[in-house]
Amino acid sequence: MEPSFRIVPGSAPKSASVNDTANSLGLHDTLQYGPRSIAAEIKTENALKDRLENWEETQDNLKLSMQRNLYGLHAPMRLLMERKIVSANPHMAGLPQSNLHLDILMGRDETIEPVDIFGGMEDAPPLNIHKDMEKKLNM
Amino acid sequence: MASVFSPPGFDFSNTLRNNFFAEKGVPLPKATSTGTTIVGCLFADGIVLGADTRATEGPIVADKNCEKIHYITDNIRCCGAGTAADTEFTTALISSNMELHSLSTGRKPRVVTAMTMLKQMLFRYQGHIGAALVLGGVDATGPHLFTIHPHGSTDKLPYVTMGSGSLAAMAVFESSWKPNMSREDALELVKTAIKAGIFNDLGSGSNVDACVITASHTEMLRNIEMPNERVQKERQYGFRRGTTAWKSEEIRSLVVSEEVTILGAGDAMDTT
Repeated sequence: MEPSFRIVPGSAPKSASVNDTANSLGLHDTLQYGPRSIAAEIKTENALKDRLENWEETQDNLKLSMQRNLYGLHAPMRLLMERKIVSANPHMAGLPQSNLHLDILMGRDETIEPVDIFGGMEDAPPLNIHKDMEKKLNM
Repeated sequence: MASVFSPPGFDFSNTLRNNFFAEKGVPLPKATSTGTTIVGCLFADGIVLGADTRATEGPIVADKNCEKIHYITDNIRCCGAGTAADTEFTTALISSNMELHSLSTGRKPRVVTAMTMLKQMLFRYQGHIGAALVLGGVDATGPHLFTIHPHGSTDKLPYVTMGSGSLAAMAVFESSWKPNMSREDALELVKTAIKAGIFNDLGSGSNVDACVITASHTEMLRNIEMPNERVQKERQYGFRRGTTAWKSEEIRSLVVSEEVTILGAGDAMDTT
């Protein structure tokens, strides 16, 4: 994300993407997700979803931008480097994973969030190990 | 590359389908709110919180004796109005976070910490979490009383009311609240305010709950007043034996034959 002092995520311009529903050929997977309607995707109000998904990133960006302005580029760069090192994950994708080191670096080791309560095996979509491995290795 | 940020925790995969339905004229079912009277007031030694005990589901009473005064920490309590699930979940989450925070800092938890956590969470959800809360407690800096509205705005006041019966209760407070009241006066005032909400608002009813928080201890007075007790029925409506005659009676045992076999009798250790 580019440096900015936003506290709250701004409304992104509406876009329709195939990211979530693409199959291995790169197109929308009609067999799995049903017929696609770009008009419906554009008109859908996803204000709350976008806000929640971008919330942490926006606030983190604020802190990193301030550190860049105060201490120089090296300060946010080292923090981001540490995060990247710690997120290198040799485990299989799709299965529930916990990364304590990353939690500590991101400051959420001593808090409970809704994702800790709702993200479990009961609520998650069915396991797609092949798909997740493909996604992870072809990244 | 997986994101380092935690996902929101809520699943939005049905929004496309819901928007499609809404356009075709099938709106989302409305989340029902509790309809409540909750109050809080400051007195000489601390805080008194009060709440009614009715939970409604549209025109139906869903729970005649529910608990609206939720536990945050030993010295902090929170009354919740609005969508019942939202208030319970939010207060439980904040209570866990307060405990973790106080373990991490090694200090007794403060009311402003809980207030900040609540307001930041409710602001993030833009009011979709329908929880209107009255937060009160006594900490190392003294007694504090806050209201938190569903969109995240807060007020710090000596006496507050929230919920559908808030106007009735506030009328009582406005006429009788004085600073530095005694415990008995404050409790009486809170009970009168809640009763005003119970009798004048359809969304509030049943009994009065109260909670007195002082620097030394917290006293939860569940159902301290029950102005809506059911009157005992005047007549007996049971039928006496012999009211209806029956033609024949046959009693059969459903157990045809019973044989008891002791299992596991030879499980003792072989010590020969």
